Amino acid sequence: MNEISQEDPVDRQLREAARYIDDNGFTARVLRQLPAPRRARRSLRGAILLAATLLASALAYLASDGGRFVVVAMERLATLPALWLFALAFGSGILVMTAGVIAAIAKASELQS
Amino acid sequence: MELTDADFVARVLVDDDQHAFGELVRRHQSTVRGLLRQLTRTDVALADDLSQETFLRAYKNIRSFRGEARFSTWLYRIAYNCFREDARRRKEFVGIDEEQLQAEQDPQVEDPGLRHDLMHALSLLPMHERSAVLLCCQNGLSHGEAARVLDIPLGTVKTNVLRGREKLKRTLAAWGPD
Repeated sequence: MNEISQEDPVDRQLREAARYIDDNGFTARVLRQLPAPRRARRSLRGAILLAATLLASALAYLASDGGRFVVVAMERLATLPALWLFALAFGSGILVMTAGVIAAIAKASELQS
Repeated sequence: MELTDADFVARVLVDDDQHAFGELVRRHQSTVRGLLRQLTRTDVALADDLSQETFLRAYKNIRSFRGEARFSTWLYRIAYNCFREDARRRKEFVGIDEEQLQAEQDPQVEDPGLRHDLMHALSLLPMHERSAVLLCCQNGLSHGEAARVLDIPLGTVKTNVLRGREKLKRTLAAWGPD
């Protein structure tokens, strides 16, 4: 590993002079200063996103006269030709699948690194 | 089977397992603190502060550890950067203040013999030679690893190690028994 001769007396003396330093609470002090685990931060982020989504949905429902716009959209969809409906469903599926694959690849490369 | 550093790093990365990181700290605290004590010319309090900063930075940036080098080498690099930044703040990175040497004796040194002379001789070396000697001769890093830690060319590391070692020998010989 080292290009330096292992027999050099100065090297040997230096290695022998390197004493083990007892932990004496050092590790505990470091661990106390670590930021909160990311898992906790992730769950907090998830809770905030969920709450914001629920709030936005409730506001949209109330502001649209009981979700009237959803009914209107469904009625429009129902009048579309079958081929259009199939293309819409297929396109949506491809879009969701692509996003999932990209997320999986990103996560895999993150773990590999 | 004993878990390797890479196993613990993986646990930190995947589960953000702070106990695993604690094990890494326990494994490497002695060498990191020892290196920083020598770099700071045995200022134990400062060395321990810098050691804590080293491990905190390691935790925050552990995703940047690619496993291309040993975990200890990666830690040494962070430790050296912490030391260098602190020394620059204190404006004493370049040169040696000889007058400080007597006041900075390691309180853990109990044997006033060869070890004491060696550590004293080491502290007399210029910073660039001391760093290279400590990493290569004491901590067993290869010249290439030391070059990465110190962020200097390989040839410079080799030169600094050779010069540092020769100066140590000359100093110790001059202090030798009459």
